[in-house]
Amino acid sequence: MDADIAKARALIEASAGRVALSEDDAKEVLACFGLRVPRRVVIGFGEPVGLALDGLEGPFVLKVVAPSILHKSDVGGVTLGLGDAGAVADAIDEMARRLSGHAIDGWLVEEMAQAGPEIVIGATVDPGFGPNVMVGLGGVLVELFEDVCFGICPITPGDAQRMLDSLRGVRLLRGWRGAAAVDEAAVIEAMLRIGGEGGLMMALSDLVAELDVNPLIVSTRGVMAVDARIVLRGDHG
Amino acid sequence: MVETVDFAPLFQPRSVAVVGASASAGGIANNFLRNLREDGFAGPVYAVHPTAASVEGWPAYPTLAALPETVDYAYVSVAAGRTPDLLRAAAGRVRFVQVIASGFAEAGEAALEADLVAACHEGGMRLLGPNCLGLYSARAGVSFISGVRMEAGGVGVLSQSGGLGADILRRGQMRGLRFSSLVTMGNAADLGPADLLQPLLDDADTQVIGLYLEDVKQGRRFFEILRAAGARKPVVVLKGGRTEAGARASASHTGALAQDDRLWQALARQTGAVLVDTLNRFLDALLAFQCLTPRARPSENVVLFGNGGGTSVLASDAFSRAGFAVPKLEDEALAQLEALKLPPGSSVANPIDTPAGTLRQERGAIGGRILAAVAAAPGIDAVVMHLNMPVILAYSDPDILPNLIRGALEARGAGAGRPHFILVLRSDGELSIEAEKQRYRATALSLGVPVFDELSDAADALACLAAHERFRHGA
Repeated sequence: MDADIAKARALIEASAGRVALSEDDAKEVLACFGLRVPRRVVIGFGEPVGLALDGLEGPFVLKVVAPSILHKSDVGGVTLGLGDAGAVADAIDEMARRLSGHAIDGWLVEEMAQAGPEIVIGATVDPGFGPNVMVGLGGVLVELFEDVCFGICPITPGDAQRMLDSLRGVRLLRGWRGAAAVDEAAVIEAMLRIGGEGGLMMALSDLVAELDVNPLIVSTRGVMAVDARIVLRGDHG
Repeated sequence: MVETVDFAPLFQPRSVAVVGASASAGGIANNFLRNLREDGFAGPVYAVHPTAASVEGWPAYPTLAALPETVDYAYVSVAAGRTPDLLRAAAGRVRFVQVIASGFAEAGEAALEADLVAACHEGGMRLLGPNCLGLYSARAGVSFISGVRMEAGGVGVLSQSGGLGADILRRGQMRGLRFSSLVTMGNAADLGPADLLQPLLDDADTQVIGLYLEDVKQGRRFFEILRAAGARKPVVVLKGGRTEAGARASASHTGALAQDDRLWQALARQTGAVLVDTLNRFLDALLAFQCLTPRARPSENVVLFGNGGGTSVLASDAFSRAGFAVPKLEDEALAQLEALKLPPGSSVANPIDTPAGTLRQERGAIGGRILAAVAAAPGIDAVVMHLNMPVILAYSDPDILPNLIRGALEARGAGAGRPHFILVLRSDGELSIEAEKQRYRATALSLGVPVFDELSDAADALACLAAHERFRHGA
């Protein structure tokens, strides 16, 4: 696997002492292992939007950057569908007012992903079995429907396929109710980049305690890790 | 400890020492000594007793160190607190020691347990237990419980519970399982599932492995051994405590969802091990693997044949739920069945439902003709014959039932491609019928046919076999 493990480790080392990586860093770590993440910038708290979005294409997504906020969408820390830099600037003002009780580091502005079914790929380190990887039907309702399936790392391509096949909702990816079938091979590849031989969990299980890529948006042209959370091991740093 | 251990002295010990038997009263160590005689243990047996010259008719020595030779296996049943020093002084006279006493880590005495392990290693031995019941080895003639059969078979079992180990042995034998060995592991302070699995996988006398597990300390090693084995030998896992809510605080969706149950399902999916939920299903699955040879083509299509309309309907449901098809028979088999001109009330569609009156034809020999037509039909993977015993035994001719079963066994065909054949003997629990059932069970088993009590049990057991076949097929 063509992973930049040294860069990923350096990113994590730089966040030693934190419970979790910032979303921006988490995505950078995913990118080190070949996962597609949105093009994005971080704008510091109180800084103007100005030319920060030059070179990026709208529509944009705005997300709050605040270590104390675990689930951003639950507190109104995510705004979708912002057409241009002006709309982003207005949305930042509004969100700053809404979240005035939180210590805010800044704002993450990303290119919005193409629509498609949302899945989750996650990982944990079990005290007995060690690193393991999860795939499931994603979004905020993942814990309600519990349509998830685990594999013990490193998973093989066959394991990944069988995990996907075990999901009750897998037909959502295969052209449910007239929708186009999505790029299932890209989902398998993403699972392997996180949980396969040489993947993120096998390379970083001494540093990473838990990981959520939720959602991973699947389209006819590959996958995009739209949100990511990497929880660090407490015994590190 | 990383050195290679030879486990033959454990699974088939040739010399045994027993510590903790009384010269006057009778405890479990006395039972163990008596069993060795009754079960025909052929090698030397040494009792260890501070003063007596013999115990239960075996020669006694004051300490393990005083034994005239190094024994393969020592059964030690003395109070927990005395055990470490007793073993520390064993001076290399024991290869494997099993410590029966409780009162170690399970009772909060982790330091005592650590001392026990250290004492064993200092004394040059490997430890089973503590807090367990003992060992069963059919070929050696060793059993920790009295009155079980010593007829050797191919089922090897590791149990993290002693009591459940005894249940597995007794109940399993009643339904036809024949064991190579059964080891109770208790707290698994030294040797645990991950250590004992590989020797069982390598053991030529063991054809199928059953594991009752609660807490696997080296889960990853256990997984890697199973994975490397590639399900060449079937492994059935009954895992206790799978529904316990994950106690870990979690900062992610995934962490909250990573429960024990899901990880064991992952292990099964990735290694081809078969995961079951109850003791009954565990024993039934082992029986299916003991009797039936996995087919190269994963089992899918089942023919059901027997007496009882409602039973046939429920049977179809049970097999469908278990993932099987109960397909229409193709024309040639159907024509053969129709040519038998079964009386009204019979149905030759699958499920083949033949009222007891039909089965009486030719004093039961009709059963063989029906099955001969079915067993030769292409695409059939399993044939399940179910007989409602009280109904058939109500007829005055006592030969009908044996003729039915014999005819069926003869008609099931030969060779590697023949369908799995399964017998379901349904009883109302009446004592004389239960006794008959045990006789037919023995006959069927001697011919390699598993017998189940109910059709749903047969469906679940066959599903375990089919899961194994699918894994092997896909591997």
